[in-house]
Amino acid sequence: MRVRQGVKRGDTIGIRVDGAEVAAFAGETVAAAMLAAGLRVFRHDPEGFPRAPFCNMGICYDCLLEIAHKDALPVRLRACMTLVSPGMSVTTGCDGKV
Amino acid sequence: MSQGGQLDVDVAVIGGGPAAMAFCTALADTGLNIAVIDEQPRPGGQILRQPPADFEIDNWLPGSAYRGLKRQLARFEALKNVRWIGGSAVLGLDRQFEGFELCLDGASGTRIVRARRVLTATGCYDLAAAFPGWTLPGVMTAGGVQTLLKSQQVLAGERIVFCGTHPLQLIVADQVMQNGGRVEAVVFVQSFHAAWRMMFHHTSTMLANMDKLVDAATALARLKRRGVPVRFGEVPERAIGYDRLEGVTLRAVEGGGAPVHLTCDTLALCFGFAPQSDLPRSLDAAIAWDEPYGGWRILHDVWMRSSVDGLFVAGETAGVGGAQKALIEGELAALGCAGDAGVLTPEEAEQRAKPLRRAHGRALAFAAMLRALTDPGEALRKMVTAETVVCRCEIVRHRDIDAALREHVQVGRPNAVKLLTRAGMGGCGGRNCEPAVVRQVSQSLGRLPEPQDAFTARFPARSTPVSRLI
Amino acid sequence: MKTATGNRRFDVAIIGGGLTGCGAAFHLVRKGASVLLVERAQINAGASGQNAGSLHFQLERRLVEHDSAASAIAARTLLLSRAAIRDWRALEALLGTDLEVVMAGGLMVAETAEEMALLERKQALEATYGLDVELLDGPEARLRAPYLSDRVIGAAFCPHEGHAGPRVATVAFARAAEAAGACITTEIRVGKISRSPLKGFVLDLVEEGGRTERVSADIVLAAAGAWTMEVGQLANVHLPLFPLALTMTATERCAPLIPHLVQHAGKRLSLKQTHAGNLLIGGGWPARLRQRNAAPYGFDLERRAVLRPPMLIENLNIACGIVPAVANLNVLRTWTGIVAETPDHLPVLGEVSEVPGFYVAAGGSGFTLGPTVARVLSEMILTGTTSEDVSHFSPARFGGLNSTMGL
Repeated sequence: MRVRQGVKRGDTIGIRVDGAEVAAFAGETVAAAMLAAGLRVFRHDPEGFPRAPFCNMGICYDCLLEIAHKDALPVRLRACMTLVSPGMSVTTGCDGKV
Repeated sequence: MSQGGQLDVDVAVIGGGPAAMAFCTALADTGLNIAVIDEQPRPGGQILRQPPADFEIDNWLPGSAYRGLKRQLARFEALKNVRWIGGSAVLGLDRQFEGFELCLDGASGTRIVRARRVLTATGCYDLAAAFPGWTLPGVMTAGGVQTLLKSQQVLAGERIVFCGTHPLQLIVADQVMQNGGRVEAVVFVQSFHAAWRMMFHHTSTMLANMDKLVDAATALARLKRRGVPVRFGEVPERAIGYDRLEGVTLRAVEGGGAPVHLTCDTLALCFGFAPQSDLPRSLDAAIAWDEPYGGWRILHDVWMRSSVDGLFVAGETAGVGGAQKALIEGELAALGCAGDAGVLTPEEAEQRAKPLRRAHGRALAFAAMLRALTDPGEALRKMVTAETVVCRCEIVRHRDIDAALREHVQVGRPNAVKLLTRAGMGGCGGRNCEPAVVRQVSQSLGRLPEPQDAFTARFPARSTPVSRLI
Repeated sequence: MKTATGNRRFDVAIIGGGLTGCGAAFHLVRKGASVLLVERAQINAGASGQNAGSLHFQLERRLVEHDSAASAIAARTLLLSRAAIRDWRALEALLGTDLEVVMAGGLMVAETAEEMALLERKQALEATYGLDVELLDGPEARLRAPYLSDRVIGAAFCPHEGHAGPRVATVAFARAAEAAGACITTEIRVGKISRSPLKGFVLDLVEEGGRTERVSADIVLAAAGAWTMEVGQLANVHLPLFPLALTMTATERCAPLIPHLVQHAGKRLSLKQTHAGNLLIGGGWPARLRQRNAAPYGFDLERRAVLRPPMLIENLNIACGIVPAVANLNVLRTWTGIVAETPDHLPVLGEVSEVPGFYVAAGGSGFTLGPTVARVLSEMILTGTTSEDVSHFSPARFGGLNSTMGL
C-alpha cells in the first residue's frame, strides 16, 4: 500500500513483472513497487518454499530476482536495492536458472 | 570492467550514515579529500534513509529524534571536500603499499578507490530471530518495515504485528499508524515488570537521556490512544500461512497458558541489531562479540583506530549504541585521522576531543542501559525448535547444526560447522545466521563466543553478478 | 597404553588432520595399529577442506607446457592416478557415506592450434602410463558438452575425471577412524619430537593454553600439508614442501549445466558444478600469502591468504570465454587455500632414511591422490611393502639436502 497523504510522487514508470504490467514511480525500488502492487511472493528457496523481502536493506538476499533493464540481458539482483526503470522486466521465482 | 577509472583520495569512508557525516563535517577545513561510498543512492544511512529525489514529502521524519540528524545531513550535503559515491557496494578492502585499495561494485561495473586511510562506518542490521515459519513472505525486520515506509513511502502490509525486545518497534508502529497503516499489536518479550525494574536500575542514565525515552513513551501513548494492544512477556511461537503470512501464534515466556493467535499479513521482528563489520574483519581487525544481541564489533582505541594501521571505525560497527554515539565517534575518528595525517597537532586534537569524550561516556552509558533493557536473553533460544531454519539461504536447520556438533570429530568452531553444514555459504554471506550459529556452538560447548568463532570474512562482501566484475 | 613413565603410547602418531592424515588413521587403526592423530586447528581446516574437489587424473597443463625432461618427471604422478581412480570409485562404499563423488568425465579444452599440440603431447605421455584419454575436435567436444563456447577447437577427454566433496571426505575418514578406535585430538600442536631411548619417538603436545602432554609413538607420519616443512624441522630434516596460496570462486546455485570437470590446455581454468548446484571456478590462480608482523618474520600460515581481485576477475573472464553461461550468474563467495608444493611437483611419500620411523605424505595433488596416498602409506608402515610403486616419490630424492640432518 502506498502512503498517499502528504506525498507527491514523480513520474510514473511502467515495469513488467512475470509479464504483467505493474505501475511504479520514479525513484522506487523494485521491491517497493511489487509490494505496493500486492505481489508478495518474490522467489522460491532451494526447497521450493516462497520468499519475499526480509530486511529491505540489501543484507538478506531473499528478494533476489531476475531483472532486465530495457533491452539488456537479465541479471539477478536484489529487488530492494534496484530502482525501477522504464521498460524494465522482472521475473520472479527462479533461483539461478541459466 | 571498470567505470570511471581509479580514484585516489586521502580518506575513503565506507557507509554514509551519521558517523560518516560527522566525520566528514569535522574534516571540512583540513584540505583532506574524502570519498564516501554507500550502497544507498543518497546519504543518511539506514536511520535517515532518504526518499527518492523525485518524491516531495510534507514533514519527512517528524519528531525530535530526527531533528539533529536532519541538520547534520544538510551540512554534509553541502560539504565541498567530499565526493559522494552512492549506489555502490564495497566488495573488498585490501592493504596496498602505504594505504588501502577498495574494490567497488556499481551498476556499470567495478572500480578501484585508493586511500591512505579508511573509516568503516557501515552501521548495523536487524538481528535475525529464528522461529518456526519465519521464512514466510510477510515476516520482515522492523528496520525493513521502517525503511520501506520512511524512504519508499510504502506500507509493508495491511495488518502488521510487531514483536521483539527493542523499543524501536514502538516508534515504527507509531509511524505506521500515523501513515494510515494498521498495527494489530506490539508484542514485547520482556515482562512489563522486568522492563520497569531494569529502567530503575539505571535511573541516572534514564534521566540523562530523557529525550530519547520521551520519543518511545510518546509513541506508546499514541498507540494506546488508537487502541493498539501492547503486550508483554510473549514470544512468537509460529508464523502461519501457506505461501504468505496469514497469522502468528504467541506463547507466554513464563508459565503455560494457551497460545494466542493474531491474524496479520506482516510480522515485524525487532530483536536488536548486529554490527556490520565484515570489511575490517577481512583485514583481521581485532573484534569482540557484541552483547547482548550478537555479531562482531571492531575494537578501537580512544581515537577510534582499529588494530589495523590506518583503519578507523565509528558508530554501530564499533558496537551497537545508537545515533548519538555514532555522531560522537565519527567526530572522534576525524580528530584521530586529522592528527595522524598531520593536519592537526596532538594538542589541538586533544583539546577538541575533551568535550566529545564526556559526551561519549554519556552515550555509552545510555547504550549500555538500552542493551540491558533489550537483552533478548533466553528468548532467542526458546523461540527456536529443532526443525527451525537457522540459515535462511542454505536451509540449514537447528538440528543440522546440532548433528554437526555431536556427530563429527571434535568440532569446536563455527567455521567448522559452516564447512560441514553449509550454514553461512549462501547469498547473505552468513550475516543472518552467524550470530545464531555462534550462539549455538558456544552454548553447546559451554563457553562464551570468542574472536576465533567468527565466520571468515572474504571478498566479495556482497554477492555480485559475474557480468559486473568482468 | 602407557609407557613405564606413564606417558600414553601409540603405534603411530599422525601429524595433520587433513585428508591424508585422517585417511591414514582410518587404514592403520582398522589393521590393528593404535593411532593418535594430532591436528593443530580443526579437522579439514586446511587445504583438504578448502580445495574445489577436483578429481583430475590428466596431467595438469603447467606440468607439461615446458621442457620435456621436467614433464617426464612430473608425469610420474600418473603412477598413482590409476589407483586413485579405483580408490575414489570405491570410497563411498568403503566409508558407507555419500561423498558427492561424480566421475562423469573431464575435458581439458583448447582454443588454439598450439594448445591442441600440447594436448597431443600430453596424451602420448599419459598413454605410456595407461591413462585413458581421448582427443576430440570442437564439434565433438560440444556434442558431449553443449555448454562449451565456439572458441573451443578441441579437447582431451578423460572419462574418469570429475569431482567429490572436500567438505565431507576428510570428516568421513575421521569419523570412521575414531569409531574404529583412533584417538583424534584438535587444537593441539606438536612442539617437539625426540628419539625415545627405547624405540620410536617422544612427542611433546602443546595446547593453546600452554598445557603440555608427552606421548610416545613407534612411528610418526607427517601429513601436514603446507605445514609439513615445519614438522620436518621438528625431526631435524629438510622436507622441501613450499606453501602456495590459491583462489577459488563459487557462484550461486543454478540448474544442472556442467556434469564434467573442465580444465584448459593453455590458461588457468578449472570449472565444475557441485552437487548443490554452485559453479566452482578456479585453476591455480594465486592468492597472496600473509607475512608475520613480528619476529620470526616470514610467511604467516596461520592466517588466511589474501585474495587479489584482479586475479579473480581474470579467472572469471576466462571461465566466461569457455562457458558463456557463467556470465549470467552471481559470484557468491571466494576463498583461498594454501597447498604444499615440491620443486618437482611430485608428492613426497615414504620413510625419511635419516630418521628411521619418520614418514612423510604431502605435496602433489592432495585431494585427488589423498585416499590413495593414505592407503599406500598405511601399507608401507604396517608391512614395509606397497601395492603401488611409489619409489619415485620417496624423500630419498632430497637426500642431498639431508646428509647432515636427522635425529
